[in-house]
Amino acid sequence: MKGFFTFLLLCLSTNGFATEQAEEIFKQLAPSLYQIRLIDKTSGEKSSIGSGFQISKDGLIATNYHVISGFARHPAKYTIEFLDHQGNKGVLELKSVDVINDLALVKRSTEIDLPYFSIADNAPKRGEEIYSLGNPHDLGMIVVPGTYNGLKTESFNQRIHFTGSVNPGMSGGPVVNNETKVVGINVATSGNQIGFLVPHEKLANLYKAYQLSVPESIDKQMADQLSQNQQKLFSTILTAEWKIKTLGNGVIPAIDVPFIRCWGESNADKTDALFLAAVANCSLDENTYISSRFFTSNLEMEFQYMQAKELSDTKFYHLYEKRIRRAGPGNKAGKDNVSEYQCHHDTVTPDNNAIENKTIFCTRSYKDFPKLFDVLYLAASIDKNNQALVSHFTIAGVEQTTALAFTRKFMESVKWN
Amino acid sequence: MELIIEEISRGHKLLGRHKTIKNTVTIGRGYNNDIILTDPHVCPEHLSLDYDGENWIVSDKDTINGSFLETGKNSADQHVISSGDIISIGKSQIRIIFPHHPVAKSVTFSPFESLISSTRHPAVIIGSMFLFTFVAGFIFYLNNSTKVTFTQLLVPSVGMTLLFALWPSMVALISHLTKHDARIMNQLGISFVFFNLMWITDVFETIAQFNLSSNWPLTGLITLFPIGLGFCLFWLNCYIGFHMTKERRLTVALSLTAILFGGSFLIKLSHKPDFNPLPSYNVTIMTPNFLIAPSNTTDNFLKDSAQLFDKTRKAAQKK
Repeated sequence: MKGFFTFLLLCLSTNGFATEQAEEIFKQLAPSLYQIRLIDKTSGEKSSIGSGFQISKDGLIATNYHVISGFARHPAKYTIEFLDHQGNKGVLELKSVDVINDLALVKRSTEIDLPYFSIADNAPKRGEEIYSLGNPHDLGMIVVPGTYNGLKTESFNQRIHFTGSVNPGMSGGPVVNNETKVVGINVATSGNQIGFLVPHEKLANLYKAYQLSVPESIDKQMADQLSQNQQKLFSTILTAEWKIKTLGNGVIPAIDVPFIRCWGESNADKTDALFLAAVANCSLDENTYISSRFFTSNLEMEFQYMQAKELSDTKFYHLYEKRIRRAGPGNKAGKDNVSEYQCHHDTVTPDNNAIENKTIFCTRSYKDFPKLFDVLYLAASIDKNNQALVSHFTIAGVEQTTALAFTRKFMESVKWN
Repeated sequence: MELIIEEISRGHKLLGRHKTIKNTVTIGRGYNNDIILTDPHVCPEHLSLDYDGENWIVSDKDTINGSFLETGKNSADQHVISSGDIISIGKSQIRIIFPHHPVAKSVTFSPFESLISSTRHPAVIIGSMFLFTFVAGFIFYLNNSTKVTFTQLLVPSVGMTLLFALWPSMVALISHLTKHDARIMNQLGISFVFFNLMWITDVFETIAQFNLSSNWPLTGLITLFPIGLGFCLFWLNCYIGFHMTKERRLTVALSLTAILFGGSFLIKLSHKPDFNPLPSYNVTIMTPNFLIAPSNTTDNFLKDSAQLFDKTRKAAQKK
């Protein structure tokens, strides 16, 4: 009993300590925290909100790219505004972005030196208490204590796993350690008590690059970042080991990288199904936000194995064709962002000589980033009477050479067992 | 003096023909006339045609609605008739013809005549309708992703056949209503032969799409087949059902083809979205025994596909 009381007391005291510290941190940092608002010029009202924080004495503010993406894409339509802890408003200028890590630097004009956050030199230790700051749902600035849980292992572009609530509106707010140094930036949530943060080095790198030279055009900066990212991603994928996995009587590739995850499903339990169908899906668990209707930098692969039960070959092929008639892109993009798809189809026997496919290759081009494309590939086996193997992938935001290199490797690694 | 008087409709279709050898012919609604018309706008004593030894002359009997020449719309009273003149009385029209009026040349039998008469044979009609029903049933069977019974296939396929039989029946009905020979067996026979030919072109189209790559600009060419077949069917429908000049038959068949295919093309066009986020590709596949053409290599496929990048980039820059 005595032990129990001690434990309870201990809990209370740590809890009290955390609250006290959070309060202290908040008081100290409030002057350098802002709400960032995107104002629609025509209606004069705010169209989206987020948080931001001062990172230099001359008025440079860090936030998320997605908070100000409306302005980055349509500078004529919006203005960016800040609202500080005393209710003062002012206009912000967009200076630099890191679209891959969802960061942006905006600047307010100031004549006096402003208090600012300093960026930490080292990452926190796993389990360390850290504090997320921001303005959720336009309710006012708050501080949310939580725990640093290391980097998310299955993501290509690093994200910190933060155990604590990151809510809409807190995007772009800083996450600080006990020493009030920035260790991350709020970026996303995955439901209860699971938040994701951009690691502090990404911001440090963006700031350093900005100090060296201010980017001339945001569009060009984004195009370069997207190109670099796809190059890095696909060189990792193409040099990784492509293991062999069986799906029914087919052989499909399993790319051995942690950031591509696979799921599977089959109709083996349905006794009245006319054919057996097994599906394996593999995809990159992340994408790059360009605007609310335009996402890119993702990869999806899908494999299907089908085997006719008591079914004539003609009917099997007919139903099989129906299943593959409507493949769509893996990313959202609209008329303003991309061209329409154009496709090529042919019957192909890959050099492995172990399958014959009806193969379709479609691509569409990005309007603002002319080097980048979305690609859709679909191959359906046509060499067995009562079995079928479908291999399909979509890539968003890829350059021509990268797309063709990946397609070649993919085509050669799908075959019959 | 001999005189031929034809009652004709406003579209110049023959409704009745009278031949007289009198020198005075009276026309009107009264029963005492030589030619009795039922049109209520015609007076009981409306018109008389008199031969003066040299010419036929029209006299209008001071009628309420008058008599008019069709050409020029002048009053027909005291008009000297020439062969072929048309006179409007009330809402009716009569054409007056002299015995030596020239007639059109005799029409030779078309080379299709023997083909057409062979399609009216009951065996051909039953055979082609059965084939049509069978193919329709087979397509229902293929499209059904669950197990189906014979009755489940029979009902829609017979329904489909009856639906398609509406077209020849309708043509036959129209020719019957327009005082032509209905010839329904001929219409049924020829229509179902053509419907079956359409299935066959479908199969060839599918085989071509399955075997050939998109480097072959086939789609435009392939659609010409059904259009051609449609035109032939409409032409034969007209030939069987109606007496009309070659030019008229050609015009009618062409217009029907244009309405059918042009209409469906317009409907498709109106459904086309301003921007299609989905790719439209051709994934026609058939069982391996229909694969005739040799397949390509990865290298060639990628080379062909690589050309799409430039094409879409140009399309994107157009905005």
